[in-house]
Amino acid sequence: MTETAEPQQENPLLEGLGLRRAPDPCALVIFGASGDLTRRKLFPALYSLAMRHMLPERFAVVGVARSEETDDEFRERMKEAVQEFGRDQFKEDVWDWLAEGMRYVSTDFADEGGEDRVVEALNELDEQRGTAGNRVYYLAVPPDAIATLIQEIGERRSTEGWTRVIVEKPFGRDLTSAQALNVEIGRHFDESEIFRIDHYLGKETVQNLLALRFANGIFEPIWNRQFVDHVQITVAESIGIEGRSGFYEQAGAIRDVFQNHLLQLVALTAMEPPIDFTADSVRNEKVKVLRALHTPGPKHVVRGQYGRGFVEGVEVPGYREEEGVAPDSLTETYVAAKLYVDNWRWADTPFYVRAGKRLARRETTIAIEFKRAPHPPFEITDDEGLRPNVLVCHIQPDEGVSLEFAAKMPGQGMTLRTVHMDFLYGGAFRTGIPEAYERLLLDCFLGDTTLFTRADEVEEQWSLVDAMVAFWKRDKPTFPNYAAGTWGPAAADDLTRRDGRTWRRR
Amino acid sequence: MALGTISEIDRELARRRIDPGSGEPIQRTSVMTHVAWVPTQWVEAAEDVLTGLADRHPSRTIVLVPDPDAEDGLEANAEVTSYPTGQGRMVCVETIRVRLSGSRAEVPASVVQPLLLPDLPVFLRWRGLPPFGERPFEELVDVVDRLIVDSTEWPDLPAPYAQLAEIFDRVVVSDIAWARTSRWRPQLASLWPGIEDVQTIQVTGTEAQANLLAGWLRSRLGHEVALGHEPSDRLAGVKVDGQPAPFPPGDRPDPADLLSDELDRVTRDRVYEEAVRAAAA
Repeated sequence: MTETAEPQQENPLLEGLGLRRAPDPCALVIFGASGDLTRRKLFPALYSLAMRHMLPERFAVVGVARSEETDDEFRERMKEAVQEFGRDQFKEDVWDWLAEGMRYVSTDFADEGGEDRVVEALNELDEQRGTAGNRVYYLAVPPDAIATLIQEIGERRSTEGWTRVIVEKPFGRDLTSAQALNVEIGRHFDESEIFRIDHYLGKETVQNLLALRFANGIFEPIWNRQFVDHVQITVAESIGIEGRSGFYEQAGAIRDVFQNHLLQLVALTAMEPPIDFTADSVRNEKVKVLRALHTPGPKHVVRGQYGRGFVEGVEVPGYREEEGVAPDSLTETYVAAKLYVDNWRWADTPFYVRAGKRLARRETTIAIEFKRAPHPPFEITDDEGLRPNVLVCHIQPDEGVSLEFAAKMPGQGMTLRTVHMDFLYGGAFRTGIPEAYERLLLDCFLGDTTLFTRADEVEEQWSLVDAMVAFWKRDKPTFPNYAAGTWGPAAADDLTRRDGRTWRRR
Repeated sequence: MALGTISEIDRELARRRIDPGSGEPIQRTSVMTHVAWVPTQWVEAAEDVLTGLADRHPSRTIVLVPDPDAEDGLEANAEVTSYPTGQGRMVCVETIRVRLSGSRAEVPASVVQPLLLPDLPVFLRWRGLPPFGERPFEELVDVVDRLIVDSTEWPDLPAPYAQLAEIFDRVVVSDIAWARTSRWRPQLASLWPGIEDVQTIQVTGTEAQANLLAGWLRSRLGHEVALGHEPSDRLAGVKVDGQPAPFPPGDRPDPADLLSDELDRVTRDRVYEEAVRAAAA
């Protein structure tokens, strides 16, 4: 009797087993293995996948970074990371299985010989672990190192098996650099082998937005300019730059969050229903939205930078006081904009979007505010009056969906109050919510690019951002213009107030 | 305090949904109504499973304890259990325990129907061998969407499988004994194509597991597979034509996990149904 996973289609015993497609054997190479991402996200995600038997049976990980470290030291450091940041109970046998296939290569990314040592390690693992020449390269490195690495990897790609490459954000720093990077990657890899990661797309709640819209008959018919007054999307963080001044001084809020996470949320909110849930169908619809985004004029964009203030009762320094930040820095830590999606569904419906650091609370939400009831037959007796219905998708925290609607207060007369009907993920589904990186790593091992950003999407995103940033070169903002722990600059309030609207406050 | 009518149960639930500390209502969340038919001898085992379940499947659970030999009557109590969502909020689930005495035990549907949560799926967990054809069972089958049994609890296997197969067109059926074989079936499937012409299967496990695995192989492969059975309280090994199948990875799921998994499913499992028919043949 022989043991084999092939050929699945002819095997009648597989019917009804509900098995997920098993990933092929492969080796994951992490460039930037000494970084925070590897420690906080990637290894905890790999461990969670191993715990659930979702990794390939024949699997290996090669960590690559500049710092000197032995295989065992690397294993020990990652073990501590999994124990500290993992969402699952730590089990020695699961870890031992994962650790057995772990190697570490110390090299400078610019060092040609170093890349050869990576290939040697991979060839050894093919022999020892049966990884069959299949490779996933995870580039968790600074943006300026990506092009060199792509070339090195491309020139040495395995002649056996498949090769895939995961590129962390930011993908370029403007349209020109993103296009150049796309060309460089395209020289060595097909689009189906390129996984541009935006971890927001791996979040369960972001995917639930698609379920909410396209698996329910009641929302989609009213998800348009006829019924929606406006949309508000907020990506707020209460933390500061967390020691990443080198990166943040170059990126600012617009490149760190707006260009990727925020525009992806706009695309998912505004997109037309895809014909199926395949990579190209979903991404075709998203890119149509990004193409339809009207470039906001300077009056419709607000940037800000936080000054000293209080977050959760603790005094925190202003951005310019953060270590490594220029005392006269003009880097924005907040950006808000009024966007329009110029298409049949959304014409003239504003999308107010904002993203920032050191805001009042950590919150990512998409709020769909519907038009008011045309003629309420009640005498409104208090200030609250009849507020519009709002459907809020809570991406994080308090993951779930809530609907605000009016209800009659008990008693004589007709006093109305807005009440919330909440669906809480944690309440309805008591299983833990997988981390975004678990889903995205697994999808990459399976070769599914649906939740990754395509070249044309990235370029459309940069195209909009470049146009917004172009206006900024002409004026010098007065920074700081908002105190840490508040909801951003006053000018952002004007953005909505001019239209007779207000930002949502929780 | 024992409650004697549906109205009293409703009132008690409404009262218990108010947080006594704050006076505010606690958010209620429900994804289903879970009805459990628990003859007295199964009460202890059923309570253990329910304890593990409430936290995972926020639902209204109606535990029916029949006592046909007692004087006619209905005696109930209602509980609301709150648990944190992890975000500073509490949500509550409801458990209603109803003792159906005397003739009331014959007509459980009239008690269950007014207590069902509207528009949500209804699952019926029947402990022990269902009395196929008898009124209480037939009534409840007609008001639920899914019947969950554990054929491990049944005597005289495989004969009762033939009766079970007769209700497949009326209600979706889950069998926890089948769920207990779920780690082993992929292992056996991985032996394809070597397993295609298998003649005998030797199962160390419960009688239900042995019969269902044999039925599964017969129905999937389309030919007779002889069954050898070595009794054990757990599925400890499978031999195919004398060769041991690879032991499955992972931990053995506990009973609450198994029931919890079945409560996640709502569609008909044709592969299981065919395995049951082949086991009974």
